[in-house]
Amino acid sequence: MKPEISRVLEVCAVGLMGDVAPHVAPSYRQATVFSTAVILTSVREELDRIAERRILENRALRTIFAEALPAVADAALRERLECAAAEDESDFKISALDAANDALRALLIDLHVHVESLDSEAARRVESEIWRELSASTERRKLSLGAF
Amino acid sequence: MPELADRIADYARHRMGDGLEVRVDGVERIHGGASRETFRFRLHTKSDAGSLERRLILRRDPPGSLIETDRAIEFSAYRAFYGTAVPVPEPLWLEEESHWLDHPFFVMEEIPDLEARPQMVLAPPYDAHTEKMGIQKWTILGEISKADPEERGLIGAMESVGVDAAWDRELSHWEGVIDEDELAPQPIIRAAIRWLRAHPPPPAQKISVVHGDFRTGNFLYDTEGRIHAILDWEMAHLGDPLEDLAWGINRVWCWARDDRVGGLLPKARAVRLWEESSGLRADPDALHWWELFSCVKGQGIWVSSAREFQDGKNQDPILALAAWMQINAQDRAALELMGQLR
Repeated sequence: MKPEISRVLEVCAVGLMGDVAPHVAPSYRQATVFSTAVILTSVREELDRIAERRILENRALRTIFAEALPAVADAALRERLECAAAEDESDFKISALDAANDALRALLIDLHVHVESLDSEAARRVESEIWRELSASTERRKLSLGAF
Repeated sequence: MPELADRIADYARHRMGDGLEVRVDGVERIHGGASRETFRFRLHTKSDAGSLERRLILRRDPPGSLIETDRAIEFSAYRAFYGTAVPVPEPLWLEEESHWLDHPFFVMEEIPDLEARPQMVLAPPYDAHTEKMGIQKWTILGEISKADPEERGLIGAMESVGVDAAWDRELSHWEGVIDEDELAPQPIIRAAIRWLRAHPPPPAQKISVVHGDFRTGNFLYDTEGRIHAILDWEMAHLGDPLEDLAWGINRVWCWARDDRVGGLLPKARAVRLWEESSGLRADPDALHWWELFSCVKGQGIWVSSAREFQDGKNQDPILALAAWMQINAQDRAALELMGQLR
């Protein structure tokens, strides 16, 4: 049994901050060690949720696309939304989940621009769902060491 | 860093003239803004008139940086405000040639034994003086906003802009930075940009010197809460004075995680102090526009730092840390200002 990754990162970060940084000179190098330790602490926090966050977000975006279809007036955009909504995760590597997330968020921007230009109740509902998801996405990404 | 010390000494000799004995020691790299490499050193000179030791700062262009800026503009801002109500270190030499120290640089006075780190305003003994620091901070910003760029010799040194064009120039610049540097799509900031373009602010009350990064962390303070110098003028430009005010009250600088902007004072008081000092008015709607703009600008800086680190142009961990800590916080700040943070 190996030590868990999060435990390894925690021990390394605490060691860098408490044992290494105070003995490092000059101050620039000391600050660099400290920054590295803070990054490791944040990576540790991200690690536990790294796949879940991406899967949940990609799923939420596909749901928005599927539900937006009746409100979309642009045929080409509707087709892209339909394709994206029909996809599902099959590759769970972080790089693959990130690539899918990038593509979905780029499409979300296009959808957002489109519904902003429409004057209909359905467009407003889609817009509201987009904002709800964008707010939720920042909640999923929050880091405990972040200022806000 | 003996080699660098010798090269700095050669340069000082070149600037100060022959007949002077020049020696440099104590060269040490320090953190001093992410766009330039910053070193402190001691300059010893000896002549028939006697000996002198000065503690100085060298700011040198790095191969890659958080913000691509013009060192001449930063230097001209220090020169413009030195000896005024806006405390800055004395600027000494600007060098645009690369052969002296491999990259262009400038040299200024060091104001030693002071604190700059933003998180320290919340720690003893500084935390007892947050109100005092806040009063000075926003009053000094008012002095910057009030200053006449022409009287300060900055017309020509900084690109001019009209009162009705300042917002568009800044928004277009930072939108372009995001276009070029984003590693992933930014749906929140793109929505903010669309809103800003659809609801332009009123013309600026005047064209002021804009510090460009006026926030806790960019001034030197002592244990009694006195501010001794405003630093990091690397993004200084001429523009709408509300830009600086809005940047300084951005949510991402609320280090104390409460309503104190910059960890020092509540927003309403900071704005009032700035108005009293500058003689200008912070129209709430115009200020709101600039606050949301400051989120776009912030995101421009954070995605650029991520890009620099990712591409290997500059792998100072501070760039990765800035991106990790601020990109999501900046998005949340933008959502809050757009009334969409749930």
